[in-house]
Amino acid sequence: MTTAGSTTVHSVNRRTVRPVAPPRNGFERAAWVFMRYSGLVLVFLALSHWGFQHIFNSVQNLTLESTAGRWGVTGQIATLQIWFWRVYYGLLLGLAMLHGLNGLRQVVYDYMHFKPLYWGFMTVSTLLIVAVSAAGIAALFLGVNIAAVGGAAVR
Amino acid sequence: MSTLFTTVRDTLRYKGREGQWLWVLHRISGLGILFYLILHIYDMSLAYFNVPVHEQLMALFKTPVFSALEMVLAALLVFHAVNGVRVALLDLRPALWARQQLATRLALIITVVIAAPTIIIMLIYTINAHLSAAATTAIR
Repeated sequence: MTTAGSTTVHSVNRRTVRPVAPPRNGFERAAWVFMRYSGLVLVFLALSHWGFQHIFNSVQNLTLESTAGRWGVTGQIATLQIWFWRVYYGLLLGLAMLHGLNGLRQVVYDYMHFKPLYWGFMTVSTLLIVAVSAAGIAALFLGVNIAAVGGAAVR
Repeated sequence: MSTLFTTVRDTLRYKGREGQWLWVLHRISGLGILFYLILHIYDMSLAYFNVPVHEQLMALFKTPVFSALEMVLAALLVFHAVNGVRVALLDLRPALWARQQLATRLALIITVVIAAPTIIIMLIYTINAHLSAAATTAIR
């Protein structure tokens, strides 16, 4: 068993038919390690988020008001509770997007063998994911824009 | 196009048994979740950037078609999480590979045990919401 850092990356035991060379340090190895650890963290973050919104609550009950209850409204001074949701949602969004982007890269690399197509697809996908993530984080910190619907119109 | 055909055909022909099928499912579920994630974050960002469109999208997500898709997503998410734990644990603790076939079966069983009640609960919420909406309309 070979270990690099604290992570076991390679093992040959009696049952291993084909010994695998330990990956060299670099981007691919960092991405490999990131996928495993971010995945383990996302199990807790994503499944708890799913549980809150789809099991203990339902999409059928979601309103602008319930979202404002967690994000706060635009212009409001953030309470400790709002900061909790900012950290939780921010971490969930960031990790999920990076995990998803790298997963997409791995799948696309296996199926798009024409290099210009691969690079074109990944450039567009990365730009889209970065733009949507930035908009999501910005909205999370700016709060629900109640004023845009006249405040009182919120159900 | 021919390389894509070869890749898909060989994915179906390769006799990797449970482990390989879970690998295929992990990729498909991951892509499905990423697609939903982008749509979801776009929609939620509109709660600041364009509230009327956000409200329209939320109304769309409450329609039966999207409720059905939401249940499919629940199954994909639970599978991706459980199978991901299997992959991470076996990769980070290679000694566990001695029991890899048990791990694949456990992953499938745990997925069904978590996903089935989840989907039933979501189904109940959805049916109740549409029934109470219909009742409100009938009274009026």
